[in-house]
Amino acid sequence: MNSELLEKLSECVEFGKINLASPYPPQMKGQPGADEITKEALESGVTPTEILNDALITAMNKVGQKFTENKIFVPQMLLSAKAMGASMVHLKPFFANGSVQRKGVFILGTVFGDLHDIGKNLFGMMVEGAGWEVIDLGIDVKTEKFLEAVQQHPTAVVGISALLTTTMVNMKPVIDAIKAASPSTKVIVGGAPLSADFAATIGADGYGKNPQEGIVWLDKISA
Amino acid sequence: MTHKERFFATIANQPVDRPASWLGLPVPSAVTELLRYFQVNSVDELKIKLDDDIYPIEVPYNFPPSNHIACAFKFAKMAHDDKPDERTLTAPGFFEDIDDPVLVDSFPWPDPALYLDVEESRRLVKAANKDYIRMGVMWSAHFQDACAAFGMEKALMVMLMNPEMFQAVIDRITDFYLKANEIFYEATKGYLDAVLIGNDFGSQCGLMVDPDSLRTYVFPGTKKLIDQAKSYGLKVIHHSCGSIYPIIQDLIDLGVDSIHPIQALAQDMDAPTLKTGFTGKASFCGGVDAQHLLVNGTPEQVTAKVKELKQLFPTGLIISPSHEAILPDIPPANIEAMFNAIN
Repeated sequence: MNSELLEKLSECVEFGKINLASPYPPQMKGQPGADEITKEALESGVTPTEILNDALITAMNKVGQKFTENKIFVPQMLLSAKAMGASMVHLKPFFANGSVQRKGVFILGTVFGDLHDIGKNLFGMMVEGAGWEVIDLGIDVKTEKFLEAVQQHPTAVVGISALLTTTMVNMKPVIDAIKAASPSTKVIVGGAPLSADFAATIGADGYGKNPQEGIVWLDKISA
Repeated sequence: MTHKERFFATIANQPVDRPASWLGLPVPSAVTELLRYFQVNSVDELKIKLDDDIYPIEVPYNFPPSNHIACAFKFAKMAHDDKPDERTLTAPGFFEDIDDPVLVDSFPWPDPALYLDVEESRRLVKAANKDYIRMGVMWSAHFQDACAAFGMEKALMVMLMNPEMFQAVIDRITDFYLKANEIFYEATKGYLDAVLIGNDFGSQCGLMVDPDSLRTYVFPGTKKLIDQAKSYGLKVIHHSCGSIYPIIQDLIDLGVDSIHPIQALAQDMDAPTLKTGFTGKASFCGGVDAQHLLVNGTPEQVTAKVKELKQLFPTGLIISPSHEAILPDIPPANIEAMFNAIN
């Protein structure tokens, strides 16, 4: 029974079925979604940790894989993230009382001078789906704001995004400042014009060509 | 060959004396250094010096503060810079919480006739040297504006969850551009040769939206915009940043004459792959990587890349940077190398 519910929930997240009222995906119309199934699972005695690890993270991992392979696209990924969010609402009290642990805290922002956030937002959703608490600082994030966030969350990993060749150069001073203030803090960078070589030259610890690569790197350093 | 003969032959995949070229649109912060380096007084003089083939004409649209037709809709619920390059597609938009298509009229849709300057359109196109390809920079980005209308993330979910709502909004946006373009095309009749329209459909790694959804909700509007331009005898260059390989055939079928900017480092958008997939079926505009090569490469590397492009595409490619905006981090020496190699 429990494994059946977890499987159903995983399917809802993978295919973006948010709740009963949601008309998407068409083949699941009229069926309960992530919202109702999570409620039912908790009432049936499924633990929040099982819900997180065996349904949500598993499903979002599949979503990330399919996105990387261009089998699904941004709209489908957004709906999966939305379905996951509908489930996570029910897990919030368990995160708050410490009975469910996330993998860590991930601080995320678009580098100063850059207003683009589509890629950053998608990566943030995927990281959350991978079991991290995400603190999104937004766009055009000044160095000081990253430093403040690191100070508040000393064990956090930092992600910095840029879309333009003219703004990706702003990442180095941010990384330098973070490393000066907190040498053990790990930083991952991403964005269309970046490369692994560029990431290495600016002192980043990680680079993700796509969201899934970033998740794999995060999983590696948090293992 | 004249500039025009070269352009028309290039997009028709016919033999050319050299491939046609387009400098692109230098952003204001790049212009000063370009003028200094090339010792000219204006971008027009620069284009003459480079022997460029295309003369872009922006649509004069008197709608402050941007005065840019790409900022014709005030959808954003938050304050932003209101510049074409700084629109915040992902910010919450006017239609964020509206799910009834009937309420599409609750937005104060602008009438382009009130803002598009007919006399200035005529003056601009007549002032352009008739030997060049005079290209109207229309953009007409109905998909991107539809994203801004809701906020991008909401828009893409609405597209799947409430397609009637998405369709109602994108149709109204398309209608706006059809009217605006008609005014511009009438004002410039007989003087304009081509237009640039487009939307960004790709990311670095793939399409942002699945091809079927684009075909259902977006391309019908694209088709109307293309057919309208064609009815005025204009060649259509269609822009989309990013990796768009799976929809290139769609764009060809919709009547696009040249696909811009073939973002060279995006997935499957390198010149050899495009040559293999579309030899003789399409023409392209762009190809000289502006994400790394033009910014960080040497003039010798730029020269080598252009020579490689010319070998792959002896015709069928208007050689141009792989992003229309020339940013200030591109050394003018690399622009010089690009044009020397083209010529």
